[in-house]
Amino acid sequence: MTSRVSPFLYPESLSKTESLAIVHLKRDLQTPTILKDRDDDNEGYSEGKVINTRFGSFPHTTLIGLPWGSQVRASKVDTGSRGREKKRKRDEVTETAGPVEKIAKVEPEQAIETPVEAKNEVQENGDVPLAKKEATPSTAPTGFIHLLPPTPENWTSSLPHRTQVVYTPDYSYVLHRIQARPGVNLIEAGAGSGSFTHASARAVFSGYPGNATNKRRKLGKVWSFEFHEQRHEKLVKELQDHGMEGVVQITHRDVCENGFLVNGESPKANSIFLDLPAPWLALPHLARSPPPKTLEDVSVEAPNGDVEMQEEFAPYISALDPCSPVHICTFSPCIEQVQKTISVMRRLGWIDIEMVEVAHMRFEIRRDRIGIDNGNQHGLLATPANVNEAVARLVDVEGTFKAFHATGEKSEIKKRDKPNPNNKQKILEGLIERKIYKEGNLVHRVEQELKAHTSYLVFAILPREWSAEDEANAKLKWHVEKKDGEADKGHAIIGMSKRQQRRAEKQAHKEREAAAAAALKANETTEIEGAASEAQEEKQPGEDMALKSEEINSAVEIEEMKSVAAVEQTRR
Amino acid sequence: MNFHSLVQPDSWVAFRLPSDTLKVVQIAPNTVISLGKYGSFSSNDLLGRPYNLTYELLDAKAGQKAAGLRVVPAAELHADTIREEEEAANPKSSDDKVVLGGDGVEYELVGENGEVIMRSNRETIDDAASQTLTMAEIEILKREGTGAGHDLIAKLMLSHTAIDQKTAFSLAKYKLLKTKKYLRRFTVLPLDVELLTNWYMNERDAGKIMEMRSEMLALTGSWANVHFSESLPDIEGGKWLIVDETGGLLVAAMAERMGILYPLEGEMEPSTEKAHRRDEPALATSNTLTMIHNNAQPNLSLLKYFQYDPTIANPPCPNHPLGTHLHPLSWLQLISPEKDTTYSTPVEPLSEEVLGSLKPGKRGTYYRKLRRWKRTTNIVDTTLSGGFSGLVVASQMDPTSIVRHTIPLLRGGANVSIYSPTIEPLVQLCDHYSTARRTAFITAPPESFASLSTDEERDNWKGDEDFPLNPTLLLNATVQSARVRSWQVLPGRTHPLMTAKGGAEGYLFTAVRVVPARGRVEARGKFGKKRKVDEVVTPGGEGGKSEPTEKKIHLSVEEEIKLTLMGENTQAVEAVGNSSADVEMSLS
Repeated sequence: MTSRVSPFLYPESLSKTESLAIVHLKRDLQTPTILKDRDDDNEGYSEGKVINTRFGSFPHTTLIGLPWGSQVRASKVDTGSRGREKKRKRDEVTETAGPVEKIAKVEPEQAIETPVEAKNEVQENGDVPLAKKEATPSTAPTGFIHLLPPTPENWTSSLPHRTQVVYTPDYSYVLHRIQARPGVNLIEAGAGSGSFTHASARAVFSGYPGNATNKRRKLGKVWSFEFHEQRHEKLVKELQDHGMEGVVQITHRDVCENGFLVNGESPKANSIFLDLPAPWLALPHLARSPPPKTLEDVSVEAPNGDVEMQEEFAPYISALDPCSPVHICTFSPCIEQVQKTISVMRRLGWIDIEMVEVAHMRFEIRRDRIGIDNGNQHGLLATPANVNEAVARLVDVEGTFKAFHATGEKSEIKKRDKPNPNNKQKILEGLIERKIYKEGNLVHRVEQELKAHTSYLVFAILPREWSAEDEANAKLKWHVEKKDGEADKGHAIIGMSKRQQRRAEKQAHKEREAAAAAALKANETTEIEGAASEAQEEKQPGEDMALKSEEINSAVEIEEMKSVAAVEQTRR
Repeated sequence: MNFHSLVQPDSWVAFRLPSDTLKVVQIAPNTVISLGKYGSFSSNDLLGRPYNLTYELLDAKAGQKAAGLRVVPAAELHADTIREEEEAANPKSSDDKVVLGGDGVEYELVGENGEVIMRSNRETIDDAASQTLTMAEIEILKREGTGAGHDLIAKLMLSHTAIDQKTAFSLAKYKLLKTKKYLRRFTVLPLDVELLTNWYMNERDAGKIMEMRSEMLALTGSWANVHFSESLPDIEGGKWLIVDETGGLLVAAMAERMGILYPLEGEMEPSTEKAHRRDEPALATSNTLTMIHNNAQPNLSLLKYFQYDPTIANPPCPNHPLGTHLHPLSWLQLISPEKDTTYSTPVEPLSEEVLGSLKPGKRGTYYRKLRRWKRTTNIVDTTLSGGFSGLVVASQMDPTSIVRHTIPLLRGGANVSIYSPTIEPLVQLCDHYSTARRTAFITAPPESFASLSTDEERDNWKGDEDFPLNPTLLLNATVQSARVRSWQVLPGRTHPLMTAKGGAEGYLFTAVRVVPARGRVEARGKFGKKRKVDEVVTPGGEGGKSEPTEKKIHLSVEEEIKLTLMGENTQAVEAVGNSSADVEMSLS
């Protein structure tokens, strides 16, 4: 099974058996189904495995081998007699109570679906009821579905909820922010229902182990942790069914207690997502170096590690990638959790801590048709469309009123006599002849159901550790020349626009000239020196002076930089 | 994934300055980097060092011009906040008995002995005059200042006459303000897609990237299901169609998702072979982005920040993964390739002898032309063969016209995701896929469509006035939007940021390409609660209904609108039939 590829990552062109497909009924009603060409659970349909929906029944055989996105018509499936059939069968089984009998029950149904396989089995078992063999699905007059390939998005909206789900707007932003790209090792703690697991697997996937096309490419992996046993089991099964085994490694573990090492090995994580009730308890396990207190505590972290390892002075294994900055996101619904998390993050040396929330809206787009001239039609708001219509109606009512008073006659027109505008013919007529899909104002509004708050997202970064030794090595490699020399005009200063540089240069030049002139003046007339300098000071009072001096400053700086650069140049 | 581990020579980095502005610079070795008023330093002090560190500019020694750098440890960055937190936790330890309330409301509490337990801002003088240092003095301090601005800030705080009147919060705010202005500190950040987006949104021309915020960029990519998908030995990989008018930002974001934005380690090293002159590396066939552009050349100017510049050479940057995985073609080449000169004029292959007799310059031209023609034909032909896994669009053009020409190229189940800064174009597009329109289309297809016999012709149907697009080819047409709101989280002062950026909200249209069944398809549906239309004819009015009944009918009408027109509540055709039954029932 490990060699299987995931339909999430490689949907291929046709739907195939034993592979996940999404049966799309309508936008918010999609059913994930693993297509099977045989009915292993023996549900008693003559058509084999069948999926029943509100839009009809669909035997799996009608869904296998189709191009993705195909519209599939419902089949006529006898759902009614199934229960009785089953019961009858069960009775038979109890009567004869033979294991052979039981097998024979299962086989005939398989025989219908996989004729080639069936032939052999028929030979073995001999007895096959003829009536069953004829039950090939026939198309029902109404009802259809669309068959879609699974994506993390439609999986998120259709998955069986076990916990609160991380929805698409949240996970897409989180994955973008924590730099989950192909080749990344990602830790996910609190896998829950698995929506984030699937999305992150898609994000970090960069090839299956042993199948890599480019040896240089690092294979990305999701290291998932779930502390709830049943949820963990379900997720393991799900990931197996989805062909995700090579991409997601799931561990049953309380990470707050036991840390993130898997079998004593480090996930070497670059990105981390914590969807835990108390992320601050897990944070100390996500450090680059052991906590300063006791080393013994740390070695206990290795969960499946040998006892000897704990007793000896085991070297600290960090769960993080030592060669890259680590990006983290925690996902908490309450502000108190956020405050605690951030407070702990600050103490543990995380930087660029930022908290955000994502607001998401879906829009309903429709045509608002307003008017009274057509009676009560579907989709028509029965109010006057404009003043003219309102006045016309009032006049009409006024006339009836007068007639009533004048003659005492009640208007004879009853509802029943009015043509009903809402029968099928009328509506289709409206659609096809009047083209009401083009009438009215095209408007949009936010959909009724709105998730006003999902959770707060806390992002932070833990930079790569940088020792004095590393710094010394880097210094050696990128040596900075520090010696004064003559200014070299051609040397680059980056970070300043050309205009800024030119201005600074001009300013510096001006200053130099001014200084020279002042010096000359001073030499010539030593007597009025004091007065001159006073005048100069008066010229630049307050802010003006501040501005100018800043400019002078930068000009001088440039001069200085240039001289440094020049020295470097000459050295080289 | 070590691309953003250490600062490499010639890579683009962003400096975050104390004022929270970004300065983006390409780091060349042996240069001086100027950070304006904050100072300058040698680029060699950064090269080979990790990203995400914060540095302080050391005071330049006399005679030395570029200042040295000091790494500011995280503990120092957070020192103030941590101290504040601790003081809040144990109020005894603080000397002046300042108690911080948790709610940020500032009270004045005076103890029995007259000591201030908590200050309020009632007494503060809203006047700049409280600062006794003059501009001139500050300037001198700045020039001679030591300790990367720490001394200056300390002096400023000391000489503020009303400092003891400030509440703890306003004191912190004052310090922060001065820190932003005078502290000579900066953080080195890798210029990735996220940062590039923020930089363009906040400090550059947001219009150039169509005001596409990070969250919308991420959402667009997710809904288009863009991911790494290189062909396996026996399984075909994926390829995506992209229409990008954001100067390459969208391409960069999608390429990042596909793992083709950053070169793998050692991949960018220039190869010594001269083979590139004659043969470029073969175009990738999977995990590719095919970009359709509306000018003769694609505008991918933002890709230069990722070491890819298509304008400098042909083939562009042969060692960059985008060189083989990004396939640009123009709309002309897509729609009528025969009118495109490059495509329609094949370069005649020349024999070795003829080549040998050519002047080197001419030979070069010949190879260049041959390469270009080969590349173009290859791209156009593979694009026209279709089978794309998804469509991603951020364009100023009418989305309807884009969809019309790209939909036939998508395989079934392909995801479509179209970004627009404003909602109106998407509302239009969505209306072309409304249930009412689809129902009309299925029930009575227009003559020009019904006469087509093959599926291929039907997929390529160009639409008419009533049905600009074939409404049965896309499913789940939805328009959505997402927006991120930032919060400040400080002890006792947690709240959303006071200011954010306005501008275009940004919307996303998503849908799935489907393959409609041939022939007439009838829908089926059972609709939740059936509300009976209580049409009791009350005497005494032509209107026929008394007020309360009218209300009831009104409700049911709204519901029906949902049923028949919004469609997502039921299946299209049957909806019509069923609800009519509903009405008939109520009438009888």
